[in-house]
Amino acid sequence: MSLKGWLLFSPWIITFLVFWLFPLVYSFVLSLTDYRLLSTDINWTGMKNYVRLFSDPDFIIALKNSFLFVIGTIPFTTAIALGLALLLNERFRGRTFFRAAYFMPSITTMVVIALIFSNLYARDGYIHLLARMAGLSPPENGFLLSTKTALASIMAMDIWMASGYYMLLFLGGLQTIPIDLYEAARIAGASRQQQFWHITLPMLKPVTLFIIVINSIKSFQVFVEIFVMTKGGPLNATFTGVYFVYETGLRQFDFGYASAAAYVVFAVIGLASLIQFKLLRTEWRS
Amino acid sequence: MKRCVWITIILPLALLSCGGQKTNQVSISWWHFWTDAHIRPVVAQMVDDFEKEHPGVSVELVDLTWADGHDKIAIAYSSGSGPDIVELGSDWILEFSSTGHLENLTDRVQPFHDQYLMWEPGEYHDSLFAFPWILGTRVLFVNCDLLTQAGYDSAFSPRDWPELMAAAQAVSERVQGAYGFGSNSAERHRLYKKFLPFLWSNGGEVLSGDGQECLLGSPEALEALEYYITLCKTGLTDTQRRLEDAFLEGKIAFLISGDWLLKRLENEKCDFKYVTQLIPPPKDGMSSASFAGGEYLALNARSQHKDIAFELIQHICSAKNQLRFCLANRTPTPSSKEASADPAFVAQPHFDTFIRQLSSSRTTPAHPKWVYIEGKLEKAVEEALYGTKSPEQALKDAKAAIKEILIQ
Repeated sequence: MSLKGWLLFSPWIITFLVFWLFPLVYSFVLSLTDYRLLSTDINWTGMKNYVRLFSDPDFIIALKNSFLFVIGTIPFTTAIALGLALLLNERFRGRTFFRAAYFMPSITTMVVIALIFSNLYARDGYIHLLARMAGLSPPENGFLLSTKTALASIMAMDIWMASGYYMLLFLGGLQTIPIDLYEAARIAGASRQQQFWHITLPMLKPVTLFIIVINSIKSFQVFVEIFVMTKGGPLNATFTGVYFVYETGLRQFDFGYASAAAYVVFAVIGLASLIQFKLLRTEWRS
Repeated sequence: MKRCVWITIILPLALLSCGGQKTNQVSISWWHFWTDAHIRPVVAQMVDDFEKEHPGVSVELVDLTWADGHDKIAIAYSSGSGPDIVELGSDWILEFSSTGHLENLTDRVQPFHDQYLMWEPGEYHDSLFAFPWILGTRVLFVNCDLLTQAGYDSAFSPRDWPELMAAAQAVSERVQGAYGFGSNSAERHRLYKKFLPFLWSNGGEVLSGDGQECLLGSPEALEALEYYITLCKTGLTDTQRRLEDAFLEGKIAFLISGDWLLKRLENEKCDFKYVTQLIPPPKDGMSSASFAGGEYLALNARSQHKDIAFELIQHICSAKNQLRFCLANRTPTPSSKEASADPAFVAQPHFDTFIRQLSSSRTTPAHPKWVYIEGKLEKAVEEALYGTKSPEQALKDAKAAIKEILIQ
């Protein structure tokens, strides 16, 4: 590349090197030390932080909750997004309005949504009221203060929020499917159901893979919701991997340990994405 | 035309260069947290006064927010920079003093020791590292209307734990839609602050005086936790913010809270009668301990202008400036004894309750590993509150866990 080219690229490259690559490498180095913020005394500890992590009950709970969060949201978000996309792909009056309406939550600030839902879930909140009217017995002090419902409540909010965005991706995917495929199928006498299972779904595979991978990564990284709504409580019921990193790093200043935790979370995400790619790719080929 | 262009370019440059020509100018920086529109000008005014009294000194005032201020300070200090003067919350001082980032003020504050309250949070290894500025404590807020509705005399105020419990239960049972006591639910870094006053009032301690031993296994600690859990169960359990909202709506009879609630009660014009009183002790006649915190001013160990910076700290903490600040901010608890004895100041509604409570208030134990100890204590209260463990078992487990932390 010419000098001019590099020059044009440099703002991005410099930001990438300084704010992404350097912290990434440096935090790995730190994860092998006992570095604490504010302290000048750093000792090399090798893999000790990593060993300590896997015998730390809090970290095990955090990883478990992160997994629960991913497993409990991805299928629902994907199914709802696909359902909405199919509906909104049809021609009817007000279609644009609904498309915009469902997309709205994903462009709203997370903190705002989390605060609104905190109130909805509270003991005198609207969702609590609805549950009581439906004859259910919701937790007495509100959904977020019960160990049984706290994580599920945040997951439900996340599904509500994310579905609109992935709907839009599915809509894009639907519009790339050639009309001739459906025409040919109709001539051959395929029902609408058959068309869905044998044309729409297989043709949407690349989009679906993309959505599942991206959404899994985002869900593993869940933080803002937790920070605003429960701070990991009650009794660690919503304590997740990234929240663990925050607590150890910026609350307890145990930077080495927090860096090690961050790397384990990173490895878990990487591994999960790899498995998803493998599974969905082979299916596609067959 | 051409001349006009030249003038517009050169004139600002000339002016700029003039601005930089002041020689022998000493510049000190102060990082603070008072950014609200009603108090920021007061802080700026104090700084202006100081600059007028000290020609040649300029003070750079930097605003921090509670959201990320602490992180900014930590990062600045660990990178070797950081302001000359920094405002620190009482429970932050130790992490900076124990790592050598703060100047030892022991000799400098000697003449002021008797004039100010609450030096303890600034202590580390028998030295002092922070100057107390604006303090805070929690008192009991009482909704008198709810008590009257529950059949109590309008002048009633609970004198000890059993009376508080009985009154709270009466309100919960007799007044439709109201709760006796507002207690905090599991909120990280907050719940333990709610339990500590009960523990301390009952004669219990988390750590022994030398910080070597955990004392949560004592009968006093168990009694305090059992009382706290029962009190919680007779009332409303929610987050601090929502509890305060509920009190303002007139739904809670008793709530332990700080001066910020007083501010809200004054601003939001509530239509019920309320009073503030000292937190009741376990038995009538004993004194009760409350949880105190506050804002402290500390000096950077690397500062080039320590003498003048300390003069600024003195100036900010002077009785005159504390009165000015506290009246503007409606804070009843300045650190200056002279300020908190000022007759006009004490005459402000409810201020005397806070001033009296402050004298029997304590701060978080100053222990380098407190952040870990706090987590274990909080876990015990949480487990007892959610019934996953009996109070006895929860405290026993916490004691074992804290013992391990202390050995490490």
